[in-house]
Amino acid sequence: MTQPRFLRAARMTAAGLAVGALLLTGCAANKPGGTDAAANASAFLTIPREDMGTFVQNFNPFAPAVNPMVQQSIYESLLIFNPAKGDTVPWLATDWKAADDGKSITFTLRDGVKWSDGQPLVAEDVAYTFELQKKIKGGYDYLDTVAAEGTNKVTFNFNKPWSPALYDVGQLSILPKHIWSALADPDKDANAKPVGTGPYTEVDSFQAQSFVLKKNPNYWQPEKQKIAGIKMLAFAGNDGANLAAVNGDVDWAPQYIPNIEKTFISKDKDHRHYWFPATGSMINWQLNTTKAPFNDVDVRKALSMAVDREQVTKIGMSGYAKPADCTGLSGSYETWKNDAVKDNCTWTKLDVQKANELLDKAGYPKGADGKRTLKDGKPFEFEISVGATSSDWLSVANVIAQNLAEVGVTVKVESPDWAAVVAGYETGDFDSGIVWSANDPSPYKYFNNSMGTTTVKPVGTKTFDNYHRFGDPQADALLAEFAAEADESKQKDIANKLQEEYNDAAPLVPLFSGPEWGAFNDTRFTGWPTEDNPYATLSVRSPTTVLVLTTLEPRK
Amino acid sequence: MRFILRRLGFYLIAFWASITLNFLLPRFMPGDPVSRMFARSQDRMQPEQIEALRKLLGVDDRPLLEQYTDYLHNIFTGQMGVSISRFPTPVTEVISSQIGWTLLLGGTALVIAAVAGNLLGILAAWRRGGAIDSALPPLLVFIGSFPYFWLAMGALYLFGVVLNWFPIRHAFTDGLEPGFTWEFIGDAGAHLVLPALTIVLVSVGGWMLGMRNTMIATNSEDYITMAEAKGLRPGRIMLRYAARNAMLPSVTSFGMGLGFVVGGALLTEVVFAYPGVGYQLLNAVQGLDYPLMQGLFLTITAAVLLANFLVDILYVRLDPRVRSN
Repeated sequence: MTQPRFLRAARMTAAGLAVGALLLTGCAANKPGGTDAAANASAFLTIPREDMGTFVQNFNPFAPAVNPMVQQSIYESLLIFNPAKGDTVPWLATDWKAADDGKSITFTLRDGVKWSDGQPLVAEDVAYTFELQKKIKGGYDYLDTVAAEGTNKVTFNFNKPWSPALYDVGQLSILPKHIWSALADPDKDANAKPVGTGPYTEVDSFQAQSFVLKKNPNYWQPEKQKIAGIKMLAFAGNDGANLAAVNGDVDWAPQYIPNIEKTFISKDKDHRHYWFPATGSMINWQLNTTKAPFNDVDVRKALSMAVDREQVTKIGMSGYAKPADCTGLSGSYETWKNDAVKDNCTWTKLDVQKANELLDKAGYPKGADGKRTLKDGKPFEFEISVGATSSDWLSVANVIAQNLAEVGVTVKVESPDWAAVVAGYETGDFDSGIVWSANDPSPYKYFNNSMGTTTVKPVGTKTFDNYHRFGDPQADALLAEFAAEADESKQKDIANKLQEEYNDAAPLVPLFSGPEWGAFNDTRFTGWPTEDNPYATLSVRSPTTVLVLTTLEPRK
Repeated sequence: MRFILRRLGFYLIAFWASITLNFLLPRFMPGDPVSRMFARSQDRMQPEQIEALRKLLGVDDRPLLEQYTDYLHNIFTGQMGVSISRFPTPVTEVISSQIGWTLLLGGTALVIAAVAGNLLGILAAWRRGGAIDSALPPLLVFIGSFPYFWLAMGALYLFGVVLNWFPIRHAFTDGLEPGFTWEFIGDAGAHLVLPALTIVLVSVGGWMLGMRNTMIATNSEDYITMAEAKGLRPGRIMLRYAARNAMLPSVTSFGMGLGFVVGGALLTEVVFAYPGVGYQLLNAVQGLDYPLMQGLFLTITAAVLLANFLVDILYVRLDPRVRSN
């Protein structure tokens, strides 16, 4: 709060407010927004966190609701995949090589990397991190052993050829063994003073409402630590965080801002920008394929053809999302897409006439009232369940319901609390729902979760992916082939076949590529990623965030 | 004394009932915290980690009775467990680091609203049909009937963003070191104005009307006429004779209000990003964070019951009729 503002405030309160007595004096922390080079050099990069009303001093990366920046600025990974450009940046490792049989990968660590306490990063740290990760969080079933060789080489051995491992192990935050092995309960330790290899590791002025991370004194690329520190602000929702962004109080606004051109950009066109690349996960309409008529591929394709994706993205997502195509792949897999499938796409394009024909052919005739009936004579109607708090997806569901009315299918939008919705998805007790999908550097997981038989659980048994319960043995064979193949160009051939299979089977109804929200204000810092320079996305929770943190510099 | 003991027994039963409900309610809600967390994290969490997380967080399928005895044991030994949504931070730490701000905000707003509302009510009843009596109640009821969220956002936008008079978020300027310095107290005070003011605005009408109505009833009592006949000063009659007796319902409301302060002004904290426990409670419910929910509910229950108990004791002093009952 600035001094004049305080004086006005004091005058105002003295004039009539009973609380005026509280206003004895004000402080003079400068409001960000100046263009003074000296002030910018010492300023903290200010970022809001919109879904944590308050912070607790807990920098444990194993915490389920991990504090912001723990995996972005404090700890680093071996490599970084950038979905905006589709490239992989070597980070703590300079090089990696998969064995010819696909059953191991060896990483070579970068020389001269130190932890923030001055100890060197060694291969033992990497091996220990995976041991700890497996013990605390589980997963990594394919990973047999992690062997450190000397100080700078580490080999991951798998129990089967497993190429998706590269990004899986490559993007895990590496922890210092000399700190974590000394803890009695590493999974329950608050890790209040973290020691990491990242650019900003030193926790400062920690409060429930904000905290600061200052420069790591031993960072391995000191020439890239151009900002003085990062300041995180806690907000209990998008509204507060958006207000701070609009007011110019934060430099980076990674949350969803409605009508961004008008509410945010127009206040200062020279300095405020946004970029929403379609690198989020694919948002799908999942039809429970254990139920008739959703077990019929023609029905799934017909329903998909009746959906107006232009309208869905325009109304539901304010025009920021990109409609899906028949590959089912979101914008983060642009380099993987099979052009033949993409260019000859039929069932993800709006075609009401074709949808009607397909439904007639499949045996769901339209009655005299224009409404279709199922084979047992009951009306063709079902529900879409979406959590009540997701207003954007609710509008998507409503648009779908309107679209389907045109082909004689009645869709009811059900919106209880997300807990109830997800409980239905997990046990298979639902008709259809709108669900996000796995988002990974390689498309393996997406196809495995959408049509691999290994992910299909019987109705009544809980599952956490493949809610629509669709398995395709032909896809299984391709998936196994993909996992065993280490050569990326050969992987691409297999991925092309997977997309053909997806195109034939239509396991679910892809709607649109989720946008990755991101806006910034370059009054104080420059060097932001943009559509023309997509070296990272504007997300503050992705592995690429550290690339932004090491590129930004104070405006001179 | 017997009266107080009887009340105490009643409060113990109420306490037991509420902690039991507190235990049962979240367990009847659909879903469990881990799949909740999974759903909220969207694609950032691996499905194969769910089992490990269940084990880590102690979300288990033990018989309810066993969980219940554990729960009671924990309550009476002061261990409220570890928060799930803020894992691995203990519940007591999550609550204690924020409850101070909630008490400050809620307490300030409650005291100002109660004092101002009661004074206005006394004045309105005393000058029945006067300017205060005819203009203020409808106006305050009008303001009080706005959706709070809307009013708070409006105030925030007008006084914070457009006029730039008050800070628009948090309990004090970020980066300022908390301490008992004039600088910090002033800064925290400035940050308190808007959130407290909006709560006062919506609640003061209720206090005023309540007080006004009991005052009117009291004013027609014989002892007021008697006091007037004795020629006492009107101010003395108004405050010592009428207001003092009309005060009783307000004391009860104040006690209740005091208890509920602990629960936090949820919407206020959301709008003004105030670092209190109200938003934490919302978060806990959304994340099915049983331990944190239970910790917060327990604190609220205890505070409400304690406040009521104190009001009961105070009543014995204020109203002799209670004693003979």
